[in-house]
Amino acid sequence: MTEKIIETENLGFIYEDGREVAANTPPALDGVSVSINKGEYLAVLGHNGSGKSTFAKLLNMILTPTNGRIVIGGRDITAENFSDDDVFEVRSGIGMVFQNPDNQLVATVVEEDVAFGPENLGIPREEIRTRVDEALMRVGMTEYARHAPHKLSGGQKQRVAIAGIIAMKPDIIIFDESTAMLDPIGRRDVLSIMESLNRNEGITVINITHYMEEAARADRVIVINDGKLVADGSAKEIFSRVEFLHSIGLESPQGTELIHELRAAGYDLPSDAISEDECFDALLSLFSVRGGVKDE
Amino acid sequence: MNKLEVKNVSFLYSKGTPFEKKALNNVSVGFEAGKITGLIGHTGSGKSTLVSLLNGLYKPHSGEILLDGVNIWAKPSEISKIRYKVGLVMQYPEYQLFDDTVRSDIAFGPRNQGLSDEEIEARVQSAARFTGLDPELLDKSPFDLSGGQKRRVAIAGILAMDPEVLVLDEPAAGLDPRGRREILGGLSAYVRECGKTLILVSHSMEDMAYYCDNVVVMSGAEVYKSGTVDEIFSSAGELEAIGLDVPVIARIAERLRAAGIPLEGSLYTVDGVRDAIKSLLGGDGK
Repeated sequence: MTEKIIETENLGFIYEDGREVAANTPPALDGVSVSINKGEYLAVLGHNGSGKSTFAKLLNMILTPTNGRIVIGGRDITAENFSDDDVFEVRSGIGMVFQNPDNQLVATVVEEDVAFGPENLGIPREEIRTRVDEALMRVGMTEYARHAPHKLSGGQKQRVAIAGIIAMKPDIIIFDESTAMLDPIGRRDVLSIMESLNRNEGITVINITHYMEEAARADRVIVINDGKLVADGSAKEIFSRVEFLHSIGLESPQGTELIHELRAAGYDLPSDAISEDECFDALLSLFSVRGGVKDE
Repeated sequence: MNKLEVKNVSFLYSKGTPFEKKALNNVSVGFEAGKITGLIGHTGSGKSTLVSLLNGLYKPHSGEILLDGVNIWAKPSEISKIRYKVGLVMQYPEYQLFDDTVRSDIAFGPRNQGLSDEEIEARVQSAARFTGLDPELLDKSPFDLSGGQKRRVAIAGILAMDPEVLVLDEPAAGLDPRGRREILGGLSAYVRECGKTLILVSHSMEDMAYYCDNVVVMSGAEVYKSGTVDEIFSSAGELEAIGLDVPVIARIAERLRAAGIPLEGSLYTVDGVRDAIKSLLGGDGK
């Protein structure tokens, strides 16, 4: 039986920030209803300005919805009687890792940075020590515990930022384009930590990304366009809709794009090959079937 | 012909202290005039140091950097002239916007070059065109724009200085696929139309394969390999050995070849592999 950890109902948000806003400012988020299961690995896609980061900030209560409802872990965080203490409590269960690691490291020593979250949760001293050590081990940064964060590489900084989140023992972690600035090694590291937190520790992972190859690894993909939820399904379902993705400024993984073009040219190939292996197998079979051309 | 040439350049950080670290070790590499050269390498490989040396932000500890055959440090007092000729767009340049309107922000560089108002306006218009900025945005505050638009304004500010060589560090990082295409496509049109030389730093091998003519691969403070896009991406294994990726499509093509499918051509873009498959299977599949 699957338990819902996040449910949004008709969620909407309009930015009004004191600065001059055009009179017809469209909502950044409009009527988004989605429910996310506990332990799910979800990717959120959308072009720049589509509203996907706004969505993440609403879930973490950095922003307050203009309308609609959000229920997290069975608690309606948009209810009128929801107090600041409640906000604090719910928020401590949702970690967020941002794009630029330099914006989220606060201390001058790695282990102090990781301890910052649990300290603010009022965790006892000995427990913090254990949590920090565990978290650093989890992300493979134990040997850097006493190093200065600013001297680490981008990927290492991002791992420290993740350790800081793990140390707070959240149920949900939202990665908001956390791999965008990283080199291939850094990206692989962060991705594998993300996936092992999900698979081995049952943490609900929400990965907001522009990398289609990354999103294709998630259990489920949702697509936000102009503030609206426009698609919701398995990676296979979403990425096989190549034309649709193009129409909203997105792409499918390269292998899928290739197969799509070959299908359009009449070759007999499956539309739902997404991963590198699936695409390779599909293309290889094209050559083993003589000619590979559809028999009419 | 090489527009920029790096000859036997070494550079050390914290020189003469116990923290001394060699960022570039006897590096020699050329950047062909009128071409787009990609610079790749993982974090700490020395590519950002190299980029900072190209427009004279740092001075090499040994070796020289030649622009049109002339050492850029021949007259150290005139190094600022080099910076007009070699424009550098750093990572996240949108953080450097400061002026009241997009127009005046883009015009800041050319104004400092002492150009006439007409000339400046022409430069602003042309820079806005190549970066895909809607002319009606020119009178807005840059701070009311989206992240992607701010990025374009910042890049336009460098284009408006009309540099001979343009160096961009991750110009498309954090942008969605359409934004990446528009920015990189615009830059490549600029290079072709205006005969400029472009050096592009990126971690996105897909973008490199698509937009670059040549690629320089850095690893461990040295040039690991350099050549045409064809030469670099046709050997996926070598790049993976130094911790770099190749485009997924290049890996799929390489696996097909290893399985005995004799694909030929530019096997590192979707279009290239598509054409190779079509020509092997005979025609257009109809």
